[in-house]
Amino acid sequence: MNALFLAFAYLRYHWARSSVLVAVAALILFVPAATQILLSTSERALVARGDATPLLLGSRGSQLDLTMSALYFSDERPDPVPMAEVETVWDSNLGVPIPVHTAFSSSGFRIVGTTLDYFDFRGLSPVDGRGLSILGDAVIGSEVAESLGKGVGDTLVSAPENLFDLDGVYPLEMPIVGVLPQTNTPDDSAIFVDIKTAWVIQGIGHGHEDVVTAAEVASGTAAIANAAVVQYQRITPDNIDSFHFHGSQDGFPATAVIVVPNDTRSATILKGRYLDSEGPTQLIEPAGVIQGLVDRIFRIKSLLDAVTAIIAIAAFAAIGLAVFLSYRLRAREVATAVKLGARKGMVLRLLAAETVTLLSISAGIAALGAIIVSQNAEAWVGWLLSLGS
Amino acid sequence: MKRFALGMAVAVLAATTGLAQDRPQIATVNYPLQYFAEQLAGDAADVLFPVPEDVDPSFWRPTISDISTIQGADLILLNGAGFATWIDRVSLPRSRVVNTSVAIEDQFIVTKSITHSHGDGGEHSHEGLAAYTWLDPTLASAQAEAVATAIAGKGLVPVEDVAERLIALQADLAALDARTAEALADVGDVAIIATHPRYQYLARRYDLNITSLEWEAGAMPSDAELAELADEAAQTGATVLIWEDTPPDAGFDAVTDLGLRNVVFSPLATANGDADFIASFDAYVTALSDALQAQPGN
Repeated sequence: MNALFLAFAYLRYHWARSSVLVAVAALILFVPAATQILLSTSERALVARGDATPLLLGSRGSQLDLTMSALYFSDERPDPVPMAEVETVWDSNLGVPIPVHTAFSSSGFRIVGTTLDYFDFRGLSPVDGRGLSILGDAVIGSEVAESLGKGVGDTLVSAPENLFDLDGVYPLEMPIVGVLPQTNTPDDSAIFVDIKTAWVIQGIGHGHEDVVTAAEVASGTAAIANAAVVQYQRITPDNIDSFHFHGSQDGFPATAVIVVPNDTRSATILKGRYLDSEGPTQLIEPAGVIQGLVDRIFRIKSLLDAVTAIIAIAAFAAIGLAVFLSYRLRAREVATAVKLGARKGMVLRLLAAETVTLLSISAGIAALGAIIVSQNAEAWVGWLLSLGS
Repeated sequence: MKRFALGMAVAVLAATTGLAQDRPQIATVNYPLQYFAEQLAGDAADVLFPVPEDVDPSFWRPTISDISTIQGADLILLNGAGFATWIDRVSLPRSRVVNTSVAIEDQFIVTKSITHSHGDGGEHSHEGLAAYTWLDPTLASAQAEAVATAIAGKGLVPVEDVAERLIALQADLAALDARTAEALADVGDVAIIATHPRYQYLARRYDLNITSLEWEAGAMPSDAELAELADEAAQTGATVLIWEDTPPDAGFDAVTDLGLRNVVFSPLATANGDADFIASFDAYVTALSDALQAQPGN
């Protein structure tokens, strides 16, 4: 007890040196623990999202791009798949196809055009407001609501995709009609609209444009705007009946189609129909793609672990050297203690108490950090996974 | 004893209410589909047709509450062929939506192409489709079959029951087709004018010569519209005017003064009072047949 008291008093007296040693040791202990927690949570989140999405239909190309854009709403832009593929799956009676259209964004968050079946499939129901009902409606994830400080009754405007606006397609103002609960999945960072609304943003569907200029917004007046000064279009009760779509819906685009097969047999039959490597479309199992990604991450993690171990050994060696040098510096102090009657064992106990105290404080700080990371891991991983590429 | 009886009554009421709430719901976009669904589902499901009686279902605009009701249905039956354009502007659960005219798309009648432009997008055109498919009972029969397949596919009614009812319904429609063909036989050369372009499938099926105006249903025609009718009658030699809905008596009189006979033939997108689809269709065909076969001046 006396040794611990004296050790603590010594460390407190040399607080600057002690603080540096504690910080270094705490970091060495915290970094591998936090990495392990975040990677494990990432693996669980990634695999869970993949496992929860049985099959994914899209244009032939990178399976990872297709998976990331359809499941994590990332910035990847796989070639669009025509809606005729959705009807083909419907006609097969082998599963439920759910198209997702993720080409557009608003305020840094991805606009996800889909059908109401998506909400049933993911078990999503607004905690505030209502679900999608009419063209232009938007339902936002919890992260979108929190980050933008928006809720039911507010509006969002789609980001213009083409600054020169050669097609005369203006951004669309969308009223927020519902807010989804937090799920710690990419759904939290999505702005959901009906896929028909996404087609309006794309210019495939349009009406007699009730366009709104910045000046009108500022002044609160409404006027018929010239196309040259248009800021965005708005769907209103007065113009909604004029909205229409050109051509057959079979040719309209989707980023990908989530396919929920009726059973294992249906899944096998469906997969067999898209085996032709020369075909324009592919049907993939996102879980397999995600597992490949996770395996790759964990191969990198092994490397990271090795690097961390080497750095930890070097750091501990540096700490050991610092302690050893401090002992050398304290040789006269130790000699004085011996002359005063302290036995060698007592001196060793004193030095050991200092080291144990240092390491204990470091371990405590590292553990506290690990607990904080652990408690927020799902939210942070969800946010990290929803970040663009 | 009284308390026991009251308790039993409450229990029975609660059970009945519970059963009613538990019954699957089928939403429809017009009366013919409502009729087919009711005939095929029997008491096993509640069939909804949420369009108010005085509103044309083609141009109905549902409220958020209406949309919510429709979204909550176990099965949503659409007519297809461009009928009820509101479905393009609302969100519906695709897994519960069935287009009943997919199998007869090759028999659709293309009406006209409308060319217009928006902003800087340049001119583009839309092809129109005649939407009142059920006025050809053979197409109605195909739609009824699609309804039956959907009801059975969703497991709302046992397959055997639906199959049995479909046979009966299709027999009714086949008999209706035969009666209509007989009633309208040999009138193909008689020119007819209709107040609205609703009767394309009826005309094609029974070889009728119908020219259409664009009058508002059930409204008194203006002088300009009557002048247009007179011109059209002079050009086509028409002797019969089909009204989509009953106009004021003065409307009948004005048309009679032009030398045409009046016939009201609702396209049955909404129900005709208490009469069912078959009885209403029969009554309208009889009225049309009588008008066509009447001697001029009678």
